[in-house]
Amino acid sequence: MHASGFDRTRPLLLAAMAVLALAGFAVGHPDILSGANFGSMAVFGVEIGMIALGQTLVISGGDSGIDLSVGAIAGLAQVVLGRLLHADVTWPLAVAVTLGVGLGLGAINALAVTWLRIAPIIATLATLFGYAGLALVLSGGTNIDLTQQSSWFLALGQGHVLGLPFQLIALYLPLLAMFAFLQHGTGYGRALYLTGTNDRAAALAGLRVGRLRGAAYVLCGLTATIAGIVGAARLGTARPDAGMNDNLISIAIVVLGGTGIFGGTGSVVGTALATVVIAIVDYGLSYNDFNPIYQAGVIGVILIGVILVENPVLAWRARRFK
Amino acid sequence: MSAAVMGAPKVPRLRLPQGREALLLITLAVLVAGIGMFSHGAFWSRINLDNLFVSSAITLIPAIGMTVVMLTGGIDVSTGSMLGLTAAIGGSCFAAGWSLAATVPVFLLAGAGLGLVNAVLIIKGKIPPVIATLGTLSIYRMIVFIVLGSNWITQIPPVLTRVFVVDHVLWLPVVALIALGLVIVASLFLRYFRWGRHVYALGNNEEAARLAGIRPERIKLAAYVMLGLLTGFAALLTLGQSPMVQTSTGSGFVLQVIAAVVLGGTSLSGGRGTMAGTLLGTLVVQVVDDGIVLLHIQPFWNGVALGVIILAAIGLSSRRDAGGM
Amino acid sequence: MAPVELKGIVKRFGGVVALDGVDLTLVPGETHALLGENGAGKSTLIRVMTGAIVPDEGSITVGGTPCRFTHPAQASAAGIAAVYQEPMIYPHLSVLENIFAGAEMTGRFGIVRRGAMASVVRPLLEQLDLPASLLVRRMSSLSIGFQQMVLITKALMLNAQVIIFDEPTSILSQAETDRLFVIIERLRRDGRAIVYITHRLDEIRRIASRVTVLTDGRVSGTALTSDLDEAKLLTLMAGKASRDYGKPLRDRAAPAHGKPALRITGLTRAGLYQNVDWDVPAGQVTGVYGLVGSGRSEVALAAFGALRPERGTIALEGRPIAPRDPAEAMRLGIGYLPEDRKLQGIFATKPLEANLTAGTIGRFRARGGRLDFAGLRDEALRLIGHYRIKARDETIGIGTLSGGNQQKALFARWAGQSLKVLILDEPTRGIDIGTKAEIHDFIRDLAAGGLAVVVISSDLPEVLAVSDRIIVMRRGGVIGVAEGAAMNAEAILASAVGADARAA
Repeated sequence: MHASGFDRTRPLLLAAMAVLALAGFAVGHPDILSGANFGSMAVFGVEIGMIALGQTLVISGGDSGIDLSVGAIAGLAQVVLGRLLHADVTWPLAVAVTLGVGLGLGAINALAVTWLRIAPIIATLATLFGYAGLALVLSGGTNIDLTQQSSWFLALGQGHVLGLPFQLIALYLPLLAMFAFLQHGTGYGRALYLTGTNDRAAALAGLRVGRLRGAAYVLCGLTATIAGIVGAARLGTARPDAGMNDNLISIAIVVLGGTGIFGGTGSVVGTALATVVIAIVDYGLSYNDFNPIYQAGVIGVILIGVILVENPVLAWRARRFK
Repeated sequence: MSAAVMGAPKVPRLRLPQGREALLLITLAVLVAGIGMFSHGAFWSRINLDNLFVSSAITLIPAIGMTVVMLTGGIDVSTGSMLGLTAAIGGSCFAAGWSLAATVPVFLLAGAGLGLVNAVLIIKGKIPPVIATLGTLSIYRMIVFIVLGSNWITQIPPVLTRVFVVDHVLWLPVVALIALGLVIVASLFLRYFRWGRHVYALGNNEEAARLAGIRPERIKLAAYVMLGLLTGFAALLTLGQSPMVQTSTGSGFVLQVIAAVVLGGTSLSGGRGTMAGTLLGTLVVQVVDDGIVLLHIQPFWNGVALGVIILAAIGLSSRRDAGGM
Repeated sequence: MAPVELKGIVKRFGGVVALDGVDLTLVPGETHALLGENGAGKSTLIRVMTGAIVPDEGSITVGGTPCRFTHPAQASAAGIAAVYQEPMIYPHLSVLENIFAGAEMTGRFGIVRRGAMASVVRPLLEQLDLPASLLVRRMSSLSIGFQQMVLITKALMLNAQVIIFDEPTSILSQAETDRLFVIIERLRRDGRAIVYITHRLDEIRRIASRVTVLTDGRVSGTALTSDLDEAKLLTLMAGKASRDYGKPLRDRAAPAHGKPALRITGLTRAGLYQNVDWDVPAGQVTGVYGLVGSGRSEVALAAFGALRPERGTIALEGRPIAPRDPAEAMRLGIGYLPEDRKLQGIFATKPLEANLTAGTIGRFRARGGRLDFAGLRDEALRLIGHYRIKARDETIGIGTLSGGNQQKALFARWAGQSLKVLILDEPTRGIDIGTKAEIHDFIRDLAAGGLAVVVISSDLPEVLAVSDRIIVMRRGGVIGVAEGAAMNAEAILASAVGADARAA
């Protein structure tokens, strides 16, 4: 048993699902297995995948932790970035300022949950309204065109490294490595797991429960912001409603990846695998000309299906454990 | 020994709206006064009030069901998709030329059926309510798309709009009157009927309730199905308000409903909350919405205002409640 | 009503025998006190009587008819009700609704008849000297004393003939206690059988006519209170204490009176503790003896930064401190092993290693912010070895270990840190004798190493066995400090339970 309580069965299940899904799509369209298509799949998955990394920390911190505002943060980040770029701020500075804003938005969530002690689902519902509203206010409700911006900036979402998408190689994978290290390699990760497992025991063992959880919300705000920036660069436009469905999908991915919603378990590695499954399904469906709405629907089916199958197994194990 | 020795508990005075309800009432009064003044009378125009009442009614009706679900300690985030799906199913019946009378039961049954699906997943499947309804949220939305394809349904009988929205009884649009009636019925039910009291008992202390012979599963099942039914009805009314079904019908709706209920003082952990609170919460949400339009503020401030109001209202009371560790 | 009789009740949990052939006869019109230490089987016995658990062997007869309770509803239908120490309530509902939850009186269409319910309850309230206005109050707005009264009303409403009180006064004020006794006496005179569980000697003499002592799941004695004088009662209660205490103490050459490490003066928090003074010297074990509800844990939590006091000072090595949270208290050098192993102590699903090092993660930092996993493992293995924790290895989930080994692990978590003051709250609750003795040795070793150790316990033999000085607490205040020859079981017990209250 590992300190994270990370269970090996879920990753195997996810890997099998990924292979099966890929095989299924390949039967109809063998050419889906081409390198270019894998690249497109990655592009599909990277942004939501980043958000899911932050969401994993929030949920594993326990106390019904959840961040519904991630999509709104992504949208607001795009708008802030767009306004800055249109105000002729150089792009590296604009990106830096946007990241700072994202940290601030995450910090507001953290304060609402740990200082005001509002239930996370309500607190982040409120900030979801607030951030989405601010995004509309700042943008006037219209998309901001960024196609004329520096090609260096656009490369954040359109460039390639070694033939693979820039955002996968240079952003997502490093972020994943960092979060995996944070979760499994550092004292912070260990302390957050303990907090998620039993927060009273954690507090009485001298862990600062509020700060640990608060930091998870701040980091979650940061990943949502990065995802927003990448999305803006990818499409060459900043959209106030860019992250509309991100909150629900990111939560689904996290749960699918094996993180229990009661806290103290799970891993960003599982989240990453779940992201791969979702990216394949997503891309496969769109490759077969299914509307994107099917993507969410299929995620819903998978989410419920996995828990329905797993619940009896866990119950059986718990009985044996007693 | 007499009671006086111990200091008998004080007898409460006349029961006035307490805590959250009073706060909301004041908020509402301030909002209405302010908007009434700065909109140069536009707020009090017949047409604005009608709009306000109709939108409030459409949020309020599912909010009644959501209140009961949250009183049992649950939540349903799929309500918006449910509304979209029942609208698509019922709309298809309209498109096939069914009469209003024949289609109304379709709306209600479809809604109740979808609520039942949620209930079964939560109660039998033992999936936490947030996760289960998160799943059905996207599944129902997908089915909307399967039903509609990329088409819109516009063959909504005008009689629907006339009956529910245009016609007035006692100065109120019919739909508003219905919503008000439902709030009163629900309120009476929760307060005076055995099952209503069991809803509260369950939300307060599920274990004690079970030991006292109350069956939590049945009550939860009824709550989710009821929410589905009311959502189906709201779908019908939505079509009365704007006679068109598209794939996005109802998206974002659930957030409004939950915001109204939570603002109304219903606790997310169950066992605490009232229909009066939900009514006031809904009105605050809708009046803010309306005021922003009337005062020619960019409509986008709506969300910001709502977010701030929720944080302020709930933050204040939960800071006060929280004691020690 | 005919008596309730329990015969040969046996209940096992896994391999542990909680009740081992208990006989108990409850007679109408009699108050029967049930005595026993924590873990003697009292609460299991109550749960058997109220149908919350089904016994493995034995029979229950009510009025001669054998009964088998598999659900609490059956026991309450047979007229048995319990009033628990921490009342099971619906906090946001009114008193009336709390009384009738699940048993509402209804008219047509299931309409709840509040008026009818109120008129049923009103005479009962009158019987208990409670105002009728109580019925509309919200349960959470009442003091615990009144909440108990509500539950008694509920028992009367259900027409209970046997009412069990589980340490009802441990959280009550003096006035509330007096009132409760008047009520209990009245219920008894009405012909009900009362079971009264307590630790407090004065209470037994005041209200009980018969006493049964439970030891290790067996009845070790039953007697009429009138046949017992104070001394005999004390012996009966302290019997076990004296026996355990009988073995020779380890050599306690009065330790060089160490510098005061922790000094608490006039600490007060309304409703929990008042004007508490603790003087805890380095190099000694200071015992704090008191029952649950005596304020002992709350004072410790204040020193540990987990519960803010209202008044008073806490000084560490002469300097006043006011830790805002446990993390700060730990940095200052204060440790606290919490009372409730499951809720406040262990991370059940996590490995033993993570549990052992939870308080010291910050110290194990390798290069680049990485946790020093090798260091953590070595530390865990050192603690496992030193404190003889029986576990396959350090990666095993702590939840799979025995209670004694879990407790040792928690003890090791604290003992392994370098602190100035270590407060141990019920360090051996619910564990076997062997492990208990081991932990006692470890505690003495810690003090010998110069640490200021506080042992909070309601287990008198334990306090006597490990302490150099004993602070006795009762009802939120310190009522005595015993040293040297004054440290004998009878004297301490007498002051803690208040037997000397009248003498004083």
